[in-house]
Amino acid sequence: MRKIAIVAQAQIMSGSIGVPRERMLFDLVKGLYDNVGITRHDIGTFVLCSNDFEVGHTIANVFEDTPVGAYMKDETHVEADGMWAASYAAMRLMSGNYDTALVVGNSAGATTFRPYLVMDYQLNPTYDRQMGLLNELSTAALQAKAYLDKYGASEDDLNEIAARLLRNAAMNPNAVQSKAGATAGDVLASEYLYEPLRQLQCYPRTDGACAMILASEERAKELTDKPVWIKGMGNSVESYYLGERDLASSRSTKMAAERAFKMAGLSDPAKQVDVAEVGAKFAHQEPILTEAIGLFAEGSAAKVAQSGAADIGGPMPVCPSGGGIGAYCFSAAGLVRIADCVRQLQGLAGDAQVSGAKTAVAHGQDGFCAQHNAVMVLSTEEG
Amino acid sequence: MSAQQERIVANVVVPLDFPYNYRVGPYIERYIKGLGEKKILGVKCPGDASVIVPPRKICGKCNAEMSEWVEVGPEGTIENYTIGHVNLNLGLVEKADTEYVLALIKLDGATSLIPAVVKGVAPTDVEKGMKVKAVFKDPAEDSLADLSHFELAG
Amino acid sequence: MRNVGIISVGYTPVFVSKRKDVNIPEMINEAVDAAFRNANLTPDDIDAITFGNMQTFEGVNLPHLWATEYCKALDKPYIRISTGGTTGMSTLQAAYYHVASGMHDVVMAVTWEKQSEGDSQVGLSGIVMPEAMTMVQHGMDLFGGKGMGFGGGGSTGAAAYQAMSYLHHSGASPEHIDKMASLERSNAALNPYAHLRKKTTVEDVQATPFIAWPLRFGHTCPTSDGATVAILASEDKVEKIADAVAWINGVACCTTDPATGNFIEGQITDPAEQEGAKIAAAKAYAMAGIKDPKKEIDMAELYNGFAHQSLMWLEKLGLCDEGQAHVMLDRGALNIDGELPTNASGGVFSTNAIGASAMNRPTECALQIMRKIEGGHQIPKKIKNAVSHGWGGMFQYVTVTVLGDEPRHG
Repeated sequence: MRKIAIVAQAQIMSGSIGVPRERMLFDLVKGLYDNVGITRHDIGTFVLCSNDFEVGHTIANVFEDTPVGAYMKDETHVEADGMWAASYAAMRLMSGNYDTALVVGNSAGATTFRPYLVMDYQLNPTYDRQMGLLNELSTAALQAKAYLDKYGASEDDLNEIAARLLRNAAMNPNAVQSKAGATAGDVLASEYLYEPLRQLQCYPRTDGACAMILASEERAKELTDKPVWIKGMGNSVESYYLGERDLASSRSTKMAAERAFKMAGLSDPAKQVDVAEVGAKFAHQEPILTEAIGLFAEGSAAKVAQSGAADIGGPMPVCPSGGGIGAYCFSAAGLVRIADCVRQLQGLAGDAQVSGAKTAVAHGQDGFCAQHNAVMVLSTEEG
Repeated sequence: MSAQQERIVANVVVPLDFPYNYRVGPYIERYIKGLGEKKILGVKCPGDASVIVPPRKICGKCNAEMSEWVEVGPEGTIENYTIGHVNLNLGLVEKADTEYVLALIKLDGATSLIPAVVKGVAPTDVEKGMKVKAVFKDPAEDSLADLSHFELAG
Repeated sequence: MRNVGIISVGYTPVFVSKRKDVNIPEMINEAVDAAFRNANLTPDDIDAITFGNMQTFEGVNLPHLWATEYCKALDKPYIRISTGGTTGMSTLQAAYYHVASGMHDVVMAVTWEKQSEGDSQVGLSGIVMPEAMTMVQHGMDLFGGKGMGFGGGGSTGAAAYQAMSYLHHSGASPEHIDKMASLERSNAALNPYAHLRKKTTVEDVQATPFIAWPLRFGHTCPTSDGATVAILASEDKVEKIADAVAWINGVACCTTDPATGNFIEGQITDPAEQEGAKIAAAKAYAMAGIKDPKKEIDMAELYNGFAHQSLMWLEKLGLCDEGQAHVMLDRGALNIDGELPTNASGGVFSTNAIGASAMNRPTECALQIMRKIEGGHQIPKKIKNAVSHGWGGMFQYVTVTVLGDEPRHG
């Protein structure tokens, strides 16, 4: 199969972007083109990612195409988390029909539309929406409780994870929420929403966009001397019905990771992966996701994190960017995870740099309690 | 230029209000009828014999259509729960007047769990494994709300 | 490049105004089951699933996640595509790329709409609603000078402007729109999966009132509840599992500017220009090795929400010279037994479950090529090459898929 690399990425995340969406997209994407030294005419295909309910009208991309340079170009639109847009763009390149792709995801969940409402509309109208019991927070809490109960982890473990992410976020210029020197005590002091879920264990409302340029082998090497190769991709989905899922684990993430690792030729991810960026929206989702990906033994990740195993300097760094607790932008989040891996692999992560990082895993999710998950393996090595 | 002409508008709030009218489908129709008779109905999968509540047509795991109806409950067991300190109102988080118990309940005879509020027990006393029983609305209103909530059984 | 073909098509048993007997995922499941039946395959044979619809029409966000089990998607790679009216073809093209990439061999594309459950204005006007209401709040007069897009109601207003411009540039008359409408409704009468199936004469069309001149009610499409599913396979899989195939030889798309353009400056682009269609068609033909579409293309399925668009798209897609479509219509060339049967299915004009409408175009071409059309609208002559066309957004997205009876790549 044709080799595909990420050439460059750009992201902007904010608690209040302060400009219209079209301006945000134009500035970000034009800046990306300028940095790489190309124009929109050098892009073969555009894959956009945004959400009708969040933008407040049907056909979310109608006003987004022109600002990103897709006018009179080959362009399509994914309505899911941004990682699906990236993997679809990669497939378009792998077909041989194109040599370059621009992928861009965006939303304005802080200032335009309430993100919890975006999730509410995912509830089935025939039952759950009428019953009014399930929402993003109540379901997250049930998932957290299931994990704590099954593996004997504690609320302090979750607070510790959130604190670590807040500290990491303080080193991320794109974080919307952060606290240098954050402790588990800081998280404990935040309000309960649905027990055991506390406010500082949750993602912040985020405006933003993330864009990246993908290219096939020859083109990638022309555009950058640090291509980040997409070695493997996989995604999988579980049942919508929460009452039939094991909320303490993530079956679909496990399958997605297995598919991605198989494609990448990785047999021992815990050893072979240098850094992971998982799209956990809540602190408790991080251990569920990292265990499913195979980075930690089942049931161990929350407790292991207490010993620094997931720290930037630790044996298995997770979310040096601060992850979803630092910023979580609907439709862009998975792209941000990829972008943060690219920063790591290109040596551009500043104070949060994992030294010598060569292989990274990025993850994105959709649906309640991560019903739908995607995993991407990235590497500096072409192979 | 007058002061009025200098005013710059940065934000507008645009309320959108579109009514939707959903068919719930034959399975939920029959389920609601059952609630009106103070019965909780599920369907049994011919593939793996799991009993699904609320009922639906397809079992994705077994690639099977479920058409065998089974009455379950009205008692069940709390398998998982959370204590709500807030409510979500159209996406806005609001502090709840009192804390409440939202549980995932395994009804006797069912395989799947259904979410429901459990009343009549202090949130601090709730434990996984507690037996609960369904409380129905009386008189019935022909809606999903006819299964009102659960209380401790016995 | 890998060869990919359509090996099976599944439709809901009917496309009608209101499916009151099923809910959304139950309806989708009917078409999924039909596709499996027609292919003699099971979910185990499917490697990945693409899914598309216009979600504001039903008010359910990311509905593919609710419909997972009904699409038999559990544990499978799954993705949602959404590009307005052309969602159906974009979803099919996504399935195409899943196979063409080399990552998957057999992929299912699921498209649908259940518009009866929502307010149609959500889709048709809702696209401009937030901007429109913003302007109204600031005292802008939307129904006077700048009101082009909104006068006549949503997309019909803009379509009327397009029709006017088309008639002017092509030399066609309003009677030609009536004739095309009659032709396609009569085709639909032969198609058991069409929505509006009443044989319709030119006089019948002319008896319907105007919405916005020159467009009458008799020139506009319905809104339908229905679903369309296609199963695609790579060449080596086709040999193993399929008894018939329609090869996808050319895929392309092009995005132009939203029809209402810049709200301050007014309309930028004449909506009858459709430069994007010319670009997309040229790319798709080139990919398919079609050098002279006028000669080599045997049939067309065009996305026509309004009857004048069939004539317009024939010209924009290079199937005839500009100003010649109505001439072909007059001599019967566009009839099912003519030299370029156009919308033998009745087109979007007769059946419009919006999320599926742009996929019905290539699935109808595929069924024609495989000679698996149910009903009376099977085109008598052999189909070697077919062009299907999809259209969406605010008059701005065009997708084109060229199908053939033989593979062109590999």
